[in-house]
Amino acid sequence: MAARLRAFFPYLIALILWEVAGQLDLVASGALPAPSEIWARFWLDRADYPRHVWATLQASGAGFVLGNAIAVLAGLLFVLLPATARVARGLNIAIFALPPIAIAPILALTLEGMTPRIVLAALGVYFVTMQATVTGLSQFDSRTADLVRAYGGTRASVLRFVQLRGALPAILSGFRVAAPNAVLGAILAEFGGGGRWGLGAYLLGSLGRGEPARLWGIGLTATLIAGLSYAVFAAISARVMGASRAVTLNPAAAPSATGAPGGLWLGLASLILPFLVWWGFLVALRVPDMLGKTPWDVFHYLFLADGAAQAQGRLLAALAETLPITGLGLAAGLSVAFALSVSSHLSPGFTRAFLPFALVTQTMPLVALTPLLVLILGRGTAVTLWITISVTFFPAYVMITQGLAQVPRAALELPRAYGASPWRELRLVAIPASVPWVFAAIRTTVPRALLGVMIAEWLATGRGLGNLLNQSRGYMDFSMIWTVAVVSVLLSVGFYQMAQGVERMVLRRMGGA
Amino acid sequence: MTAPAGIALSGLCKTFASHGQKVEALRDVSLNCPAGSFTALIGPSGCGKSTILRAALGLEPLDSGRVEIGGQAPQAATRAGVTGVAFQDAALLPWRTVAQNIALPLEVLGRAVGPEQGRIRDLIALVGLQGRETALPGELSGGMRQRVAIARALVSAPQVLFLDEPFGALDQILRRQMNIELQRIWAETGVTTLLVTHGIDEAVFLADRVAIMQAGPGRIVEVVEIPFARPRAASLFSDPEFHHQCDHIAGVLHGG
Repeated sequence: MAARLRAFFPYLIALILWEVAGQLDLVASGALPAPSEIWARFWLDRADYPRHVWATLQASGAGFVLGNAIAVLAGLLFVLLPATARVARGLNIAIFALPPIAIAPILALTLEGMTPRIVLAALGVYFVTMQATVTGLSQFDSRTADLVRAYGGTRASVLRFVQLRGALPAILSGFRVAAPNAVLGAILAEFGGGGRWGLGAYLLGSLGRGEPARLWGIGLTATLIAGLSYAVFAAISARVMGASRAVTLNPAAAPSATGAPGGLWLGLASLILPFLVWWGFLVALRVPDMLGKTPWDVFHYLFLADGAAQAQGRLLAALAETLPITGLGLAAGLSVAFALSVSSHLSPGFTRAFLPFALVTQTMPLVALTPLLVLILGRGTAVTLWITISVTFFPAYVMITQGLAQVPRAALELPRAYGASPWRELRLVAIPASVPWVFAAIRTTVPRALLGVMIAEWLATGRGLGNLLNQSRGYMDFSMIWTVAVVSVLLSVGFYQMAQGVERMVLRRMGGA
Repeated sequence: MTAPAGIALSGLCKTFASHGQKVEALRDVSLNCPAGSFTALIGPSGCGKSTILRAALGLEPLDSGRVEIGGQAPQAATRAGVTGVAFQDAALLPWRTVAQNIALPLEVLGRAVGPEQGRIRDLIALVGLQGRETALPGELSGGMRQRVAIARALVSAPQVLFLDEPFGALDQILRRQMNIELQRIWAETGVTTLLVTHGIDEAVFLADRVAIMQAGPGRIVEVVEIPFARPRAASLFSDPEFHHQCDHIAGVLHGG
């Protein structure tokens, strides 16, 4: 009981400090309102909230169900027919890497009503759950599969008796991570796509009014929804996992959904598929030519049309602003993550106190967080960096810590047995052992870094790709909207592939996989 | 139960390719296990014992050679429910209770589980797990899990039983107990049994005949008849003649 109370201490202290800082207008001359002020504002606005919250819940709920249904079916298909996984590789990476903010305007242009919100929520959910499904279905005990086959069981019986139920915990943990993504996706689409109701629309409408307390109220409500959706699935998966932990595991080789492309034709198909889907999307929905641009249209606009040179110039100027800050933010985010992992290795107590706060910033939808940061940090480079760090450090931290935790105890204790200090031990064993995980962290956080920078550019600094996207929306320059969306997805995929290439090279040199 | 079937292996050959090199896992392995007999297959690690067993179950494709179980090809025999199997690891499904894990082969074979509940209860009693029917594998000790695997191997009323080092993970004391239990089960059911093991005393205690293998390439070098009368009591483990048999097998294993 006492221990439980003590766990609340950091929150309590933080809350008190926040209240004091807010009351005394200590931060950025009142940009950080006190919790009591936020609550008072929330109470005044209480009649507005239900319809906004309901709209967001509807969109994210529908997107969550749709995205997960497709993801689980796709995962099943990829495991049963590995060739399909290779063909879909390009599409999967593109979906993983695409910055939602870049395609939100396109979805708003081409789809109607709630659909863009549902689609963006579903896109946010798909990759996580698909990957979890593939991992879950692949990591079964090979001996139980042998057993089923030893009684004449077919591929289908192995799937039925061993893999499906065995994948359940992994799929559920996929749902858990995906749930806040659905909320984030829906709010982003509300924000970028117009419409009257939804927390994103509410936020957009309140931006210009200079009421920090209301922005905070909306931001915290969004965080609460995202956090609760995570908690619900965490509770469900804890119940399912509880009794049936594997006793021993002899894992079958796990093919990854984004594994190496096999064969020239499959690789080529995997490259072409995303463009086919893009083109098919336009044809299937009968999007008017003026709004919907095909891959050829974009190429034409950027290289062959009359204004091509000018379009290129604007794009390159935007890239010249966006790319350096993305790299810088990514490096900073990874450094923070690495320092944090190391310090949590050396002093676990610090991390335990710090983690809850980090977790809150992670469930807070980025669009809701950005205006608050603008209030505090202004519209300069600092806000971009801060946002980029905040979206990258946590996933990287989780991965690197996982890596450090997987160093065998005996290997860690060997330097200690020779009297090495914790620092020395870290340098000799833990850091080299976590190198592969650092690269994995880079690969998975690159798209988030680009997303963070673009959101900051759109909402705060008015520079770079994010701003170009926002401006083009204002001028109804549809060709440029498509171009920015395509370029940002290509950039994300390119970075992802580069990080993966380096990762493989380093691993090979280190004698790993 | 119909008349028990025998196992006939003739001329099994198998080559693995690993790291670009060809490894000859089995060379011309032939072994005949008459119906109702108990045969032990013994040899050093990596000599291909388990490969033989997997091939006999149709889990491992062979380069050449023939497997017949009661006159049938392995796939046909396993699908008909002629065989039962227990591996070195219990390989229980962690989300199924003891009773449900034992019922798994029936479900795979497409038989109704309902009418077999009495039989499952009897098997749980046979392996001494009364009262643990609804326990999950995570709640059982290693020895208990292994006994569940033995019960599972018997649930389909097999005529042929394949055991791949089923007691390999158990401590010596438990292993002796399980050996005595297994002998009792074998005597009660009359099931043709092929036991893969690397425990010399276990093989001599249980088997009618011990087939001795050597590695590189895996092959059977000698088949020893074990003459002791049945039922064999635990006191046999300290009999001088028993030790004589064990010493002979150890000699053959070490290339003597």
